[in-house]
Amino acid sequence: MRSTGHALPDSAPGASEPSREAPDWYAPAPDVFDETREADGTLRPHWSYISRALQDMGAPELRRRRDEARRLLRDNGVSYNIYDDPEGYNRVWDLDPIPLVIGSTEWSDIESGLIQRAELLDLILRDLYGPRDLLRRGLLPPELVHGHAGFLRACDQVRLPGDRQLILYSANLTRSANGRMIVLGDRTQAPSGAGYALENRMVITRILPSLFRDSRVHRVAVFFRALRQSLSTIAPRAARAEPRIVILTPGPLNETYFEHAYLASYLGYPLVQGDDLTVRGGRVWQRTLASPQPVDVILRRVDDDWCDPLELRPESQLGIPGLLDCVRRGGVSVANPLGSGLLENPALLCFLPAIARHFLGQPLRLESVQTWWCGEPRDCRHVLAHLPRMVVKPLSRAPGSRSFFGPSCSDSELQQLRARILAEPRSWVGQSILGFASTPSLGTDAVEPRTAVLRTFLVARDSDYAVMPGGLTRVAPSRGSLLVSNQSGGSSKDTWVLASEPEQQVTLWLQPTREQMPAGQRAPLSSRAADNLYWIGRYAERAEGIARLLRTILQKVDEALQYSGAAHEDCLRALLRSLTHCTATYPGFMAEGELLARPEDELLAVACDVQRTGSLAQSLQALLHAAHAMRDFWTGDIWRVLDGVESQLAAMRRRELTLATLPEALDQVVVALAGLTGFTGERLMRDQAWRFLELGRRTERGLLLASLTRSTLVVQQEEATESLLLDAVLATVESMLTYRQRYRSYLELRTVLELVLLDPNNPRGLVHQLLALQEALDGLPEGTEGTRMGSELSERDRLALEALTQLRLVSLDRLVAIEAGSVLREELDQTLARITHLLARLSDVITEQYFVHLRESRQLAQAQVAPR
Amino acid sequence: MRYRITHRTEYRYSEPVDSGYNEARLLPRALDRQQVLCASLAIDPPASDQRERSDYFGNRVVAFSLDRPHRSLTVTSSSEVVVEPRVDGLDLFAGESWEQARAALREATDPEGLLARDLVLASPLVPLGEALSAYAAPSFSPGRPLLDAVHDLMVRVHRDFRYDPEFTTLSTPLADVLAHRRGVCQDFAHLAIGCLRSQGLAARYVSGYIETLPPPGKPRLIGADASHAWFSVYVPDCGWVDFDPTNNQLPESRHITVAWGRDYADVTPLKGVIFGGGQMQLTVSVDVLDLDAADPMAAGGASGGHP
Repeated sequence: MRSTGHALPDSAPGASEPSREAPDWYAPAPDVFDETREADGTLRPHWSYISRALQDMGAPELRRRRDEARRLLRDNGVSYNIYDDPEGYNRVWDLDPIPLVIGSTEWSDIESGLIQRAELLDLILRDLYGPRDLLRRGLLPPELVHGHAGFLRACDQVRLPGDRQLILYSANLTRSANGRMIVLGDRTQAPSGAGYALENRMVITRILPSLFRDSRVHRVAVFFRALRQSLSTIAPRAARAEPRIVILTPGPLNETYFEHAYLASYLGYPLVQGDDLTVRGGRVWQRTLASPQPVDVILRRVDDDWCDPLELRPESQLGIPGLLDCVRRGGVSVANPLGSGLLENPALLCFLPAIARHFLGQPLRLESVQTWWCGEPRDCRHVLAHLPRMVVKPLSRAPGSRSFFGPSCSDSELQQLRARILAEPRSWVGQSILGFASTPSLGTDAVEPRTAVLRTFLVARDSDYAVMPGGLTRVAPSRGSLLVSNQSGGSSKDTWVLASEPEQQVTLWLQPTREQMPAGQRAPLSSRAADNLYWIGRYAERAEGIARLLRTILQKVDEALQYSGAAHEDCLRALLRSLTHCTATYPGFMAEGELLARPEDELLAVACDVQRTGSLAQSLQALLHAAHAMRDFWTGDIWRVLDGVESQLAAMRRRELTLATLPEALDQVVVALAGLTGFTGERLMRDQAWRFLELGRRTERGLLLASLTRSTLVVQQEEATESLLLDAVLATVESMLTYRQRYRSYLELRTVLELVLLDPNNPRGLVHQLLALQEALDGLPEGTEGTRMGSELSERDRLALEALTQLRLVSLDRLVAIEAGSVLREELDQTLARITHLLARLSDVITEQYFVHLRESRQLAQAQVAPR
Repeated sequence: MRYRITHRTEYRYSEPVDSGYNEARLLPRALDRQQVLCASLAIDPPASDQRERSDYFGNRVVAFSLDRPHRSLTVTSSSEVVVEPRVDGLDLFAGESWEQARAALREATDPEGLLARDLVLASPLVPLGEALSAYAAPSFSPGRPLLDAVHDLMVRVHRDFRYDPEFTTLSTPLADVLAHRRGVCQDFAHLAIGCLRSQGLAARYVSGYIETLPPPGKPRLIGADASHAWFSVYVPDCGWVDFDPTNNQLPESRHITVAWGRDYADVTPLKGVIFGGGQMQLTVSVDVLDLDAADPMAAGGASGGHP
């Protein structure tokens, strides 16, 4: 593609009359169809208004709005996970401020073409898992169907209630160099992208509010209303009135997890993973803290063969054993139905025109990219003869299989490909390489022509399909590049379908969101959510505690350098060992020798090494994992806080920090985590979700306090050393100010212990944590293992009470006492050890009682067919 | 011949299993030459949910689940079947050549032919390739009658491969079996199926049993005290013909068919997914009793006769 992008003028020129003259903000290549131009080079009418607005806006303004879009996307936590990305597992979604604009007349052609195609694919799906007339009549070669990995024999004769089988459908469209819209491929399992399209729209309306308002753009919300409607109608008959619908996700590591969570919140459906669901008595149930809730419809984002380890892929941990039989018996409906992946077979494209004539008596309205299936000898010869000018694709997507782009293959690659095709011709298709049209796109600083692919979205409606007006447009990562894929980078665009008349405001009726729902009606908390919240509490508290201790230690390292002397050295040594204890990064500073003298490397490792179990970086990472897994739970503001954590972690991953820059990073971490505490403390309802967060937080803080006090203050030290240690402990637990205000005296062990351990009014003190634990435990349901008899205390309540009582019954005199001939404060040691044990046990009991989903399924061993 | 078959599968777990989901393909199908007088499945502890259906290949499947904690699972399939010998006899040297059969299959659009065309393709446990094709080649000389060629292939597999239960497990790839020339009945069936498919012919995997006690003077048949497996080849316009490469014979009235599919994975007698369980220990026993045998002592000997 030969073209030069013009830099935008740096100042916006004065407004001019709408004109079909070519503007100077953008210059596409003359020989290729461009979205904005007629064949004679004049502007296409539906671009004239927008073109003038972009012209008036000027380059710096357009770039500023792109920055604004980036900020909004970042704040909303919009991301796309790139597999094996060393930068972490989330990448911020990129949005080009210039939309793809489609006129109303052209769109109505596209729309009717898409509906026709969806209806056709629906008929094919019904036929291939039903009577298979298409095979009998010779309209499809059976090898094409049988030889595709998406044809799941276990799904034969399984049907959803209602007329339609294909509920959701997506087509990837692109415009060829001659201006025609072409279908590149069909997505029929669990099409992704609708949520990103919606988010793109929300951002664009904020960065280009007046342009959007004045352009009469069709709203995309109508699609989601149709989706809700459609999912309700496929529910099993008995549940049709008020079906319970869930979204099934493979989990936070999936590349489009953001979207799963986003749609779950937007549509008001619970987001679940496979092990949140269980099959019992021919129905599917969602595990919650209370009783299991029946599920009627599953909107799945898990691929076909991963959905049921009993009948489909046995190694899958993403599915639900017994799900398929449940569907077969009509106990639950899954959209799209299991097995619908067979429509993604690219060889189908060769046969669609004939099938359209057979089923519909019509030609195809939208043409597909020209495709040859190598299972037909003539097609195979054609593909082999034109290999360097073809895209060659495997019939089924599978690990280790990929597409080959002829022009960029070396001779030896082409030879190998030829051999693979000849060995298994039925498994390959060849597709012609299109000359792509171009669309204006904001590059680094100039507007450039780029190739784009439009993903469209359809959902079944009573008599036909509803089409999202617009869709998700993805743009090639660079000028001249033909590759459009989120995995390889590149940007996205909002897609504007212009209305011929002013559009009425459409509002999507939503189920009340979590915040709006009255407490009594709130859906029961799932076991997974409880588990994640508990660990968010624990990791946040652990990270904050370690960061504070590290901060204190770094200060003492400085002091030891400034004021040499045994007391400073002894204090530092005790604190370093305490760090090893508190983080359980043994052996760490426990060994005598080098490490204690030169603690720098080990300190950096305990701070920044993500691989090191117990390190600050590892706690932060675990916190982010758990927070991402609860994506549908948080509102937008929390992402700003987590973003701060994420950027600190990124710096740690890049090994950018030194001992000199670490204190500032630690400050940032502490501030961000304090923000998290503030957010959860102030805004969350005092319900079960909050209780689990609180349990995690209080348990962890209690454990850290006990560990810190025990490792610094049990062994008797020289008076000067002890004074320094008391100072360090108070600084670490953030109680220095309180201490000075209350005691106005020099540091004394007795009063420090009183404040840090026994004072119920000190929110950072141990007794306060134990009281808070009891309060959080009080409102919890009995859980799944509820075995309490009568008025007897449950084990968890007994543990919490015992820990509290232990502490309440101690006397300060005995805590500070040392037996003659000993250097240990025996009572202090025993008390803290006992409380640590009780808290650890409490954590186990909570895990056992509430987090039942932490189980792996496995296959039964099978008998050898012959004797051993 | 009338048989009573008892197939018992027992799992013992070191820790409780919380819940389990299972599929059993243990009830024999009814066929032209095989009449099923009765067949039932006993599950202990009792299943909380149980249902029978037929699968894509027409096999009988019992799906059941257990939702209470348990430490063992015993599934016993009991059936009585009558197997008739072929009345028309089978002439290996008559009929069309294997190339004609292959050509007819490519064009087949009748229901049975369409199903057979599925069984020409590679399947999960039977990938195709050069090595299989090369091993098959000597049996498929030009113009040779189809059944004669397949019979020759069966004879060669029986001759070239050593029966060695120590060598293979359920997960041994076919390529290893071919390279080391050893395996068990399942491997030999897969091997022959792969050879036939590599020639463009349709072949399926058959799971079943073989009579325990040999007739007087005949050697005891291998595979008698476990489930057994063999293969079947499709003859266009005529139907399926079974071959047992492990015992080098054409199954007549001593083979009881339970289920068939593309390969073992389609007809696993008992599979399941469990939560929990710790270590598991599996015991299987199969008993095939010839009810026509006059001597009741012989029957008693058979049921006690597991090596």
